[in-house]
Amino acid sequence: MSTYRSVRDLDWTLLIITLLICGLGILQIYSATRDTRWEDAWWKQIIWVAGGLVVMWIVSQIDYHSLLSNAFLFYFLSVIALALVLMVGGSAFGARRWIELPGFKLQISEFVKTVIILLVARYLTELKSDRVEGRDLLKLGGLVAVPTVLVMKQPDLGTALTYLPILGIGVLLAGLRWQYWVAIAIILVLVVPLGWHFVLKDYQKARLVTFLDPGQDPRGSGYQVIQSKIAVGAGGMWGRGVTKGTQTQLRFLPVPHTDFIFSAFAEEHGFVGVVVILGLYFLLLMQIVQNAQMAPDRSGMYVCMGVAALLLFHILVNIGMVVGRMPVTGIPLPLMTYGGSNALSFFLMLGLVNSVRLWRFVS
Amino acid sequence: MRGWRRDGFAGEVHAGTPSNRLLLLALLGLLWAVLILCRLVYLQIVSHETYSRLADRQQQRTFRIEASRGAILDRSGHPLALSVPVNSVCVNPLRVPDPVLASDILARVLGVDRQELLEKIERAKARGSGFLWVKRKITPEESDRLRSLKLEWVEFRKESQRHYPSAPLASHVVGTVDFQERGNLGLEQSMDEVLAGRAGSVKMVTDVLQRGVEHMATDAAEPGVNITLTIDERIQYVVERELAAACERHRAASGSVVVMNPYEGDILAMASWPPFDPNEPPRTPKDYQARFSHPVSIPFEPGSVFKIITLAAALDSTNLRPDTLIDCGNGTFRMYGRVIHEASRGYGTITAAEVLAKSSNIGAIQIGLKVGEKRLLEYIRRFGFGKRTGLPLPAESPGTVRDLKYWGKTSIGSIAMGHEISTTAVQLAQACSVIANGGVLVKPRLILARQKPGEKPVAEPVEPPRRILKPETAITMRRMMEGVVLNGTGKAARLPGYTSGGKTGSAQIFDRTAKRYTHLYNGSFVGFAPVTNPAVVISVTLNGTRLYGGVVAAPVFKAIAMETLRLLGVPYDVPETAAPEPATEEETIDVAIASLSRPPDDISAAPAMPAPEPAPETPQATTFMLAAGPVVPSFEGKTVRAVLEESFAAGVPVEVIGSGVARAQLPAAGSPLGPGERVRVYFK
Repeated sequence: MSTYRSVRDLDWTLLIITLLICGLGILQIYSATRDTRWEDAWWKQIIWVAGGLVVMWIVSQIDYHSLLSNAFLFYFLSVIALALVLMVGGSAFGARRWIELPGFKLQISEFVKTVIILLVARYLTELKSDRVEGRDLLKLGGLVAVPTVLVMKQPDLGTALTYLPILGIGVLLAGLRWQYWVAIAIILVLVVPLGWHFVLKDYQKARLVTFLDPGQDPRGSGYQVIQSKIAVGAGGMWGRGVTKGTQTQLRFLPVPHTDFIFSAFAEEHGFVGVVVILGLYFLLLMQIVQNAQMAPDRSGMYVCMGVAALLLFHILVNIGMVVGRMPVTGIPLPLMTYGGSNALSFFLMLGLVNSVRLWRFVS
Repeated sequence: MRGWRRDGFAGEVHAGTPSNRLLLLALLGLLWAVLILCRLVYLQIVSHETYSRLADRQQQRTFRIEASRGAILDRSGHPLALSVPVNSVCVNPLRVPDPVLASDILARVLGVDRQELLEKIERAKARGSGFLWVKRKITPEESDRLRSLKLEWVEFRKESQRHYPSAPLASHVVGTVDFQERGNLGLEQSMDEVLAGRAGSVKMVTDVLQRGVEHMATDAAEPGVNITLTIDERIQYVVERELAAACERHRAASGSVVVMNPYEGDILAMASWPPFDPNEPPRTPKDYQARFSHPVSIPFEPGSVFKIITLAAALDSTNLRPDTLIDCGNGTFRMYGRVIHEASRGYGTITAAEVLAKSSNIGAIQIGLKVGEKRLLEYIRRFGFGKRTGLPLPAESPGTVRDLKYWGKTSIGSIAMGHEISTTAVQLAQACSVIANGGVLVKPRLILARQKPGEKPVAEPVEPPRRILKPETAITMRRMMEGVVLNGTGKAARLPGYTSGGKTGSAQIFDRTAKRYTHLYNGSFVGFAPVTNPAVVISVTLNGTRLYGGVVAAPVFKAIAMETLRLLGVPYDVPETAAPEPATEEETIDVAIASLSRPPDDISAAPAMPAPEPAPETPQATTFMLAAGPVVPSFEGKTVRAVLEESFAAGVPVEVIGSGVARAQLPAAGSPLGPGERVRVYFK
């Protein structure tokens, strides 16, 4: 087989959009963390992005089929790693979310996203029929449920929820009879109240509900939403300028370099800046969807669409949270939010997309 | 596993159905995106103003800068009230790392309640409040101890504490402030706005922990104005000492003294008894009562003191002269069916001067009748009675002077001897000043100058005096009032080395519940010294004594006058050796018979005194009864010794400069000498 792959064939459009988003992210991290104990976060983020580019290039050079063929192995390793996190992970704010490595806190749940994309793609590609049957749905659902529950146990509800849209888009693309959709809807209606009562902790419930009426507890769970809305609103049309956003600079806005980076960005760059960012994300998603459509096979399409679904979910939930239309779940904004695991995880996925793209030039 | 991708169907792309579903998905995503975009439009464009305001409101804070309160000084600049900086402790609860530890430390150092403080900190924290007073106005020791701990979350705020360094001196005049340094008594209250200045503010950008980050605007505080009083601390001290001693000796319920310069109206001292300490907050009802300023706020029936008004009105408006004979009969007088008695016995036919000196009630009534109701009331008003003097003190009483239509048939008699009328001690001093200064009404004043910090003091404008008596009336009155001291009821007011004039008064106190006059008196003495060019007018009243004004008040006048004249540097006008004779008590009987209808046997209840011989006249005193102030004699060509002898004889103090023969003098011969002035004589 011919394995010639040119650097020229990489998805440069995708790369440029990605780097633009990352650049704006780094600028915002710089502005938001000035004179705080995270003030070196911006150059750390540059290192992560650089590392991410390397990861992306390496992954793009790997035949994604070989990754798919090892999907189950990755899956089992992931489950073991997540179990390990629960046992020996470093903790902060009462949650165990990462494994301490020298100089780096490895957040396993971030990388599990990629594993689940591979798992779903592999499983659905192997289906013998045109539709997903009930048995397969249960099997795949069960497979995805295990890491989801483990991550929820950390507890990290936000990240756990990001696994579900991957499954969802896969099943949607593979085809499922409408009866099943109805069944899923009914099960959700039944399960959600039960989960509400028996699984969720009080603070989680509070976070899920207060976005609807943050004024009820302005100093507690509603505080972040109120401050975020004030920051976004105060930004106005043109924004207050880099390092001029008072909500951000005076620390009224919580975690302005991670979960609420979009809020800080909206304050300093205004509606115009926000439209630019949303446009870039739109182009990024379109580019990935285009790669899905031009994928050489179904497995490639599933991989690309999984990545797209995951990104879209992140973007919509994060921005929804920032503008007070979604609960505060701690879901980061892809490529902008400060954080190594998060950045590497998304570059890994973009590497997969490139890998799919490059394979259509093979043979 | 390598062969997995080679499966046939793996390379097959389902084009039909998935892309439809993909489209549906894309539409859903787009719908969501549009919703969020709408939300952003709403937040950033539609509601931008609202959110900007919300941001400003929580990011900007206005801090108050207190203005320092002006000081109150006596006329020579000694502080009577001033504000000293003190520390107050506050914390920013949001920055307190460990509330339990913090409240423990603070409770130990500052002696506040640990549990209460802990709760306060927790509550403030929960509220998100970045400010909490821990203890205000702490002592320097507490401040030092707390500072030595170097706790970075503890803040010290400078506040000011009002301090009265000379307390209780002049406390009724100066007044007090409350905890917020707002005046609530005396000048502190009436001049509060001037003293307080204007608080400024700083607008600051603060972060979420409410730490100031950046100044936005500063509105500087305007410090309060310093007020210099006409009060002389030295005289005030003497006045309070003498008043307290007399009030205690005679078991008076209260007492007032006003010392006034009759020309400018400067109140040199003003005291009220009982005293209070302005540095201590009042606790008992008694404490509150001690805060009444008797000389300005509590009017009383003046009694015989008021006869000077009757006499002055008669001298000024009728043909009455000091030597006009008045038939005072045998001690009783009928008036519209009512019988009026003298305080002790009948005087027979005596001169008008003697009516005043002996304080004859019947004589005073007859003189009052001679003046007539209308004219008497006019003179009473002219002298400033029934009207506030306008001192810058709160709660000044105007006293009571009734309109003519409310007078009864016998009112003229009552008023002629100082009843059916009420006056304050300040009003009496004001009225006596008219006689002392030669016939002009001078408004009493308390404020000498105001000084804005950093600027020069500005003298308080003086209201031009208004002539209300002919000069000769005033001069005659002075002489007649000297007679009171020399051979009348006021012998206790004779001063060694100075001439003096005045009038005693012992008004019976009306018991409002029993509706009758009691045998307690408002014993007063109102007078001036020296007679020829009065430097000072002193009004003394002791309320609720069992003895007469000539006994209780005149000695107070004497003691105060002696010290005051010495402090003012007023030269002796009679030889110091002319020791005044002790006054007999009978001579001091000057009770204005208040109840015109009182049965005669009641008089026996008044202390019965043996009737002594009238005191012989002191020749020295009459020698220097000059009509006006001393006139400077010519000293030129005389030796030092001759100048000194002559100056002593003329009652003119000299300052000897050089030696040999007098060549020049200032002021020149023939010019009048003001009170306290000396003639500088240059010898060669």
